[in-house]
Amino acid sequence: MKPLMLQGHERAITQIKYNREGDLLFSAAKDSKPNVWWSLNGERLGTFNGHGGVVWCLDVDWQTINLITGGGDSSCRLWDLETGKNIATIKTNSSVRTCNFSFSAYQAAYTTDKAMGHPCEVFIIDTRTIDDSISTAAPILKWEITDSKVTSMIWGTLDETIITGHEAGDLIQWDLRTGKKIHSVKEHAQQINDMQLSRDGSMFITASKDQTAKLFDTSTLELLKEYKTERPVNSAALSPILDHVVLGGGQDAMEVTTTSTRQGKFDARFFHLVFEEEFGRVKGHFGPINSLAFHPDGRSYASGGEDGYVRVQSFDQAYFDYTFDYNRE
Amino acid sequence: MAKKKSDDRVNPNPPCDNEEQNFDEEPNFDDPEGYIDDISDEELLGDLLAQKPKESDGYENVIVVDGCPQVGPERLEKLQSVITKIFSKFGKIVNEYYPTNENGVTIGYIFLEYSNPQNAAEAVQATNNCKLDKQHTFLVNLFTDFQKYAEIPKEWEPPAPQPFKVQSDLQWYLMDPDAYDQFLVGIGTGVALQVWQNALPEPVMLQERPTYAVWSPLGTYLATFHWRGVALWSGPKFAQFQKFYHPEARFISFSPCENYIVTFSPTAAATPERPEDKKLIIWDIRSGQEKRSFPPPEEYVTWPIFRWSKDDRFFARLGTDVLSVYETPGFGLLDKKSIKIPGIRDFAWSPTDTVLAYWVAEEKDVPARVTLLELPNRTEIRSKNLFSVADCKIHWQKSGDYLCVKVDRYSKLRKDKTELKYSGMYYNFEIFHMREKQIPVDSVEIKEPIQAFAWEPVGSKFAIIHGDNSNQQISFYQVNTGQAPSLVRKLSGSYNHVFWSPAGQFVVLANFGLTGGALEFLDTNDFTIMNVADHYQMSGIEWDPTGRYVVTGVSSLKCKMDCGYYIWSFQGKILRRVMKEGFAHTRPSCPQELVAKRTEQMKKYSEYREARAAAWAEQRARRLELRGYVDTDARGAAGDAVEETVEFFVKEEVTVID
Repeated sequence: MKPLMLQGHERAITQIKYNREGDLLFSAAKDSKPNVWWSLNGERLGTFNGHGGVVWCLDVDWQTINLITGGGDSSCRLWDLETGKNIATIKTNSSVRTCNFSFSAYQAAYTTDKAMGHPCEVFIIDTRTIDDSISTAAPILKWEITDSKVTSMIWGTLDETIITGHEAGDLIQWDLRTGKKIHSVKEHAQQINDMQLSRDGSMFITASKDQTAKLFDTSTLELLKEYKTERPVNSAALSPILDHVVLGGGQDAMEVTTTSTRQGKFDARFFHLVFEEEFGRVKGHFGPINSLAFHPDGRSYASGGEDGYVRVQSFDQAYFDYTFDYNRE
Repeated sequence: MAKKKSDDRVNPNPPCDNEEQNFDEEPNFDDPEGYIDDISDEELLGDLLAQKPKESDGYENVIVVDGCPQVGPERLEKLQSVITKIFSKFGKIVNEYYPTNENGVTIGYIFLEYSNPQNAAEAVQATNNCKLDKQHTFLVNLFTDFQKYAEIPKEWEPPAPQPFKVQSDLQWYLMDPDAYDQFLVGIGTGVALQVWQNALPEPVMLQERPTYAVWSPLGTYLATFHWRGVALWSGPKFAQFQKFYHPEARFISFSPCENYIVTFSPTAAATPERPEDKKLIIWDIRSGQEKRSFPPPEEYVTWPIFRWSKDDRFFARLGTDVLSVYETPGFGLLDKKSIKIPGIRDFAWSPTDTVLAYWVAEEKDVPARVTLLELPNRTEIRSKNLFSVADCKIHWQKSGDYLCVKVDRYSKLRKDKTELKYSGMYYNFEIFHMREKQIPVDSVEIKEPIQAFAWEPVGSKFAIIHGDNSNQQISFYQVNTGQAPSLVRKLSGSYNHVFWSPAGQFVVLANFGLTGGALEFLDTNDFTIMNVADHYQMSGIEWDPTGRYVVTGVSSLKCKMDCGYYIWSFQGKILRRVMKEGFAHTRPSCPQELVAKRTEQMKKYSEYREARAAAWAEQRARRLELRGYVDTDARGAAGDAVEETVEFFVKEEVTVID
């Protein structure tokens, strides 16, 4: 099927996410206005105006009431989705790199960059009642990251842990009751660009600059699978219905102009979750893919690229008919 | 000696029986007095005695150096130091002997012994016939050679006739009832080589072997490269036809009639049987004999070094200011001397006549010149002077009817230190009408940069691609008797290569390069475009010799991904796509090992998932609590999901009514 091309950003896409029902698609880019789209037809529903620079990350809560965004203008903002109003703005010392609502959305977490003389820090805030008071309220918990900075973050099982991915390739699981490390593994050689949970939250996939994506157990951080490519992986997503993963990436933005789009470096690549074998590619972007997301029904996926486009691609029947040969018991 | 016998005599019982008793007391092995040995040593220990050192052993380490200066005892030391200096290059000299006459003067030959026969052989190979000075030339022989030559029987025996070897039909492929062609596919670097029969409906693989190979020009032989040399394979079974021992041969070229093959191994180290000056060898294909060897060229030259005339009669080599033409089957220089042509830059043989065309670069006041030279009588049948020439390219038409010389000309010349910089380039095509009286020459001038030129192999058309990258045009010209070439059609399109069908008329235009891959199939009779197609990142095109098929390929040397080849009909209909890597269009059934591996992986994963699913079920209560008792576990089963009508604004029309 012809993909939907969502053209609403002036600059490279940084992160895209569906809400839980899958009717809305949120996108953040290096321009200052995150967008929300109808995922069904690609029509833009609105923009969230307020950030003063790059928006690095966004997350929507499970009830699709609030949106949290973090950006290079040293702020983390909360938005009301019904009206598109900016409810609260939390000033930080440096750029906000990652932000996420917890499972219950009673809490949210965000991390800041190590920059301008400030360390990399993790903040946990209370989001049970969202109003302007959040802007000034102290976080529930915050701690400093002394070694390499956090480049991606997800919430662990229930609201008890968070997992951070670091610039040096480490993965660390933190206990939120104490703010201490529970597990720490280093399976990646380079920066972890993205982490996404499986539908039930028991596993997550990492995308790393070391040209691999890896599947981990959320509670033990045990390495389960590895997917290898020939270029840095910027994002990886797990299919909610099939044992499939999709990987997207490409060269660093600065090398892009020297590469032909038709060289296949900017394809979204599909791997079997268990067999680690590639079985398909989707081309279309003319820059590296920065973020990928499966629709919650698993029948389409969206990709946002350095080229500023979001492409929503529905799967053909052939995708669902394709099976791998192995002995089923 | 003969212990066995005496032992038997003294102790006649089998040893095993009385082993116990004899353990302590030593049996008497001595011969009884007066015993006469009735068995000879040779009979008993013949095999051991054969290994006994002989007086003549080590002779192969010895060389005899004749032709040495005869010196008195006062200068002997000097001679010794000179000789040692020369001959210790090949290995350690363990022994030397300078025979002298009664006056103490050396008699002109000396004996040197090396530590092994290889060194000795090397020394003979390298120094025999070497000049020491004006009067003295070394004549070096192995000491064993004397024996060899001394033992030549007086009477000549005729050699026994070799049994007749049945040679398989070398042209068998031409007798194919369906006239199918064969083609060769190389996979990877030395991974595999496959010979396919281009049969219908599916090509059939005939042979597969893990080497690198090329066809001979007429297709009779398949040449494969090996560490030890080059082998030719032929016949229906691709049996070995001939082999040429030439270690590390990297380049080969065949003569047009397949009588001779030239091999060149630029890197191989010099060995006694292949010294430095024998790196370029011409062989006779049928007999496998080495016909002549040449030292390697001093500077970098383009392969092939030797270019053959159409009938294998002559072959020529370009040198500095000289063109060396050799004659077969004698393999000597034609008329015993090379042709002196000051400033010769390049030459090419006519494909049908023993005529060659060469061009001479411009020199101060002397214009550049293109000359047609007929051999063997060396008559210049035509020459043309040209001015302001930067470079020339010689293109013969395959039927030899026309010759085109593409002349790169400049309007300004600037000397920048040592480099010459040309500017204001324009291009001339000098067309020689070979079949007309006195060979008239016509000229076509084009001001734009030229991308490609190609003659129609059979016919009188040629195609030129010109223009810069943004605005490329393809011009087709027709050459007529007694007339200047006329432009028949001009097309535009971003193509940078022209491939004529070997049978003429049809042409494929192609665009190579990283982003290339466009193809156009054209009929030049009426210039209809038969098809426009695409083979992304294509790096090569081959027509089959009959002009029925075209192959486009992506070579793995150029590009890591999507390597493979497509076969097209001459009309541009795709017949077959073969991908050697990545995803094949047809899905082959999985090998059994892979299925087993996957089954294993899936089993392990399922176990893991079951454990996880159990844990997930346990956490259900906690999840419900966290999300305010809304069950979000099942996909799409959001508790409050209701049918929703979404209205989209489609279009607004405003009609103004007066």
